Amino acid sequence: MSRRASLAVSLLLGLLTLLLLWVFAQALAQQPGPRLAELAATELPRSAVSNPVTAVLLNYRAYDTLLELAVLLAALLGIWSLGAASPGYQPAGPALEVMADWVVPLLILTGGYLLWVGAHAPGGAFQAGALLGAAGVILRLAGHQRAGLPSESSQRLLAVSGTAVFAAVGLATLAFGAGFLTYPPDWAKWLILLIETAATLAIGTTLAAAYVGGQPPENPEGVRSR
Amino acid sequence: MDSLALAIGVPLIAALAAAAFPARAQALGLAGALATTVASLQVTALVWQQGSLRSEPGGWGAPLGLALQADGLSAALIAMTALVALATAIYASGYFRPGNRPREFWPLWLLLWTALNGTFLAADLFNLYVNMELLGLAAAALGALGGQPAAVAASLRYLLIGLLGSMTYLLGVALVYTAYGTLDMDLVAAALRPGPVAGTAMVLMTGGLALKAALFPLHFWLPPAHANATAPVSAALSALVVKAAFYLVLRLWLDVFTPLVTPAAAHLIGLLGAAAVVWGSWRALRAERLKLLAAYSTVAQIGYLCLFFPLLQATPPGTAREDLLAALVLMALTHGFAKSGLFLAAGLVQQSAGHDRIKELGGTAQHLPATTFSIALAGTALIGLPPSGSFIGKWLLMTSAVQTGQWWWIAAVMTGTLLAAAYVFRVLGQAFNLEPTPRRFLTQGRTELPALLLALTSVAVLGLAARPLWQLLQPGGAA
Repeated sequence: MSRRASLAVSLLLGLLTLLLLWVFAQALAQQPGPRLAELAATELPRSAVSNPVTAVLLNYRAYDTLLELAVLLAALLGIWSLGAASPGYQPAGPALEVMADWVVPLLILTGGYLLWVGAHAPGGAFQAGALLGAAGVILRLAGHQRAGLPSESSQRLLAVSGTAVFAAVGLATLAFGAGFLTYPPDWAKWLILLIETAATLAIGTTLAAAYVGGQPPENPEGVRSR
Repeated sequence: MDSLALAIGVPLIAALAAAAFPARAQALGLAGALATTVASLQVTALVWQQGSLRSEPGGWGAPLGLALQADGLSAALIAMTALVALATAIYASGYFRPGNRPREFWPLWLLLWTALNGTFLAADLFNLYVNMELLGLAAAALGALGGQPAAVAASLRYLLIGLLGSMTYLLGVALVYTAYGTLDMDLVAAALRPGPVAGTAMVLMTGGLALKAALFPLHFWLPPAHANATAPVSAALSALVVKAAFYLVLRLWLDVFTPLVTPAAAHLIGLLGAAAVVWGSWRALRAERLKLLAAYSTVAQIGYLCLFFPLLQATPPGTAREDLLAALVLMALTHGFAKSGLFLAAGLVQQSAGHDRIKELGGTAQHLPATTFSIALAGTALIGLPPSGSFIGKWLLMTSAVQTGQWWWIAAVMTGTLLAAAYVFRVLGQAFNLEPTPRRFLTQGRTELPALLLALTSVAVLGLAARPLWQLLQPGGAA
C-alpha cells in the first residue's frame, strides 16, 4: 500500500473510531446504572457461589460457558487435524531446567488454589486452566515434546472431559425433571465444583496441546529420564 | 423432556464421544447423526403442534439467564439441517478412505451440527455470538480437512473473515446491552427505540453477519473456501453454514430491529441481493471447475433470498406477507437440498474422474448415471424450473414485486434464471457427450443415493408438497 493510501485508511479508521465512541457515549447516557449487575448480585444467595463472575459463568449463563468449552475443543481438534506437530525445542540448558523444576509445580499448585477460590473470590476454571496451560508451555520450551501431557488417547479424554462433565450434568438435571443445567439448590455448590474441576483439566490440556501445535508425538524422545 | 435442549445436547454428546474414541469415530458419528436427526425432527413436530416453544437452561429466565426458542422459521431450518446433515453423514461414511483423515471429521461435523441447531434455537444475542464462534471454528477446521495447501489457505482466510464478522457482530451486541441492559431478543425488541445507538448496532450486527453470509460484495472468501473443501464439507458449508448467518439477519430484521427497517435500508439489501444474483450466476457460468460453479451459484442464491427484504418491508402484515415469508423459507430450503446434492454429486464426479474440470467431464453420464441425474435434478432446482420449490418461490417473489410496484427486481430474477439455465446445461451438455448407454444406474449406493435423495427432495418434495411449510410457519401452529 502506498503511503498516501495508508494515510487515507488510517484517517477513515480514526473517524470511524470517533463515531463509534460518540455512539457508545449516547448508549451510556441512554441507560445509566448497573444494568444486570444489580440483579446478578440480588440473586447471588440462590446461585450457591458468592463470586458474581462465577455465578454468571457457571449458573446464570452456564449454557454459554458449556458452548465456550466446546469452542476450545473444536479449536484443538482443528489443530490436530492439520497433521503432526513439528519437533519441539532442544533439551533445556541447566538454568532453564532448574527454573522449570521450580515453576511448573508452583503453577500447578496455584492453579488448584484458583480453582477452589473461584467460588467466593476472583478465580475459577478458566484462570486455573490457563496456569496449567502455562506450565505445559514451559515444559515444551524446556524440550519436553508433549509439553508434559500424557499419550494422545489420554489427551483426548482430558480435553473432552470438561465439556463432557458439563453436558452430562445438564442432561442429568434434565432427566430428573429440573430442566437443562438447572441445578437443584442443595447440590448446586458441588455440581459447580465438579464442572469447574473437569473444565480446569480440559482447559489446561487444550491450551498446552494447542501450543504443541499438532498431533502429539507417539514416543516423545525429549522426555527427560529422571 | 425439553426437546430444545436435546436438539443441542445430543449432537454435542455424540461429538464428544467421537472425539474421545477416534478408533470408533465413524460408528459413533453415524449413530450420533441418527440420534440428532430424531431430536431435531422432534422439535419440528412439536412446533407443528404447538406453534412455538421456549425453554430456559439454568431456570433463571430472561434477563438474568438465557433462553432457547423455536418458531416455524427455526423449526423449518432445523428440519432441513437434520435431513441434509444426515444424508451428508451417510455419504461421508462411504466417501472418506483411510488416510483421508476422517478421524477428526466426525467430532467436528457433530460440533458443527450442535452450533447450527444452537443458532436456530438461540433467543439471546450473546449466546448467538458463542454459537457463531463454534460454527465458524468447526467450519474452518472442516474446510481444511483435505490438507491441500489451497484448502488450508482458503480455510484460514475463511476463519479470519469469520472472526472479523463475529467481532463486528459482538460490537453491536455490546452497544445493545449498554443501551438497553438486556440481551434477550424479545426484551431488546420491546425496549428498542430508533436512534443513533440502535441504528449503529443494527448496521454493525447486520454487517458482521453479511460477511459470514457472503452477501455481495462481501462474498470474496466463499468460492475458494467452498470449492476446495472435501465434498461432504462443501455441501454443509454451502447448504447450511451460510444459511445460518442469513437466518440471523432475517431474524434480527423481522423480530428485533423492526422499527428501524426503513424502505431505504431494505432497498439497499435488495440491491446487493440483485447484484449478487447477476454477478454470482455470471461467475458460475464462467467457472472452469464444477465445484467452483456450485460455490458461485451459492453467492447468487443468497442474493435471491435478499431480494425478499424490500418486498417484505413494503407488504403490510397479512396473508400476502405470510405467503412472501413462506416463499423465502421455501427458497432457502430448496437451495439447501439442491446445493448439498450438487456438491455431493460433484464430489463423486471428482473422485471418479480424478478432477472436476467441466470441459473434460465427457462420459460422466455413462460412468455415473445416478450422479449425473442428481446434478440434473439439483440444476433444475437452482434454475427454478417447475416443479421445484424455487419455482414457487420465484413465482411468489415476482408476483409480489409486481404488486408492490417494485418491478425492477424481476429483471434481476430473470437474468439470474437465464444464467443459471446456461451454467446447468453447460455441465450437462459435457456430461452426456459419449455414446454407449450406461450398464447400471447406481454404481455406489451409499454415496450416490444420499446425493440423489437430496436433489430429488429439492425438486419433487418441496415443489409438489409445499403446503405443510405454510402450515408450519403459521404463528399458532398447524394442528
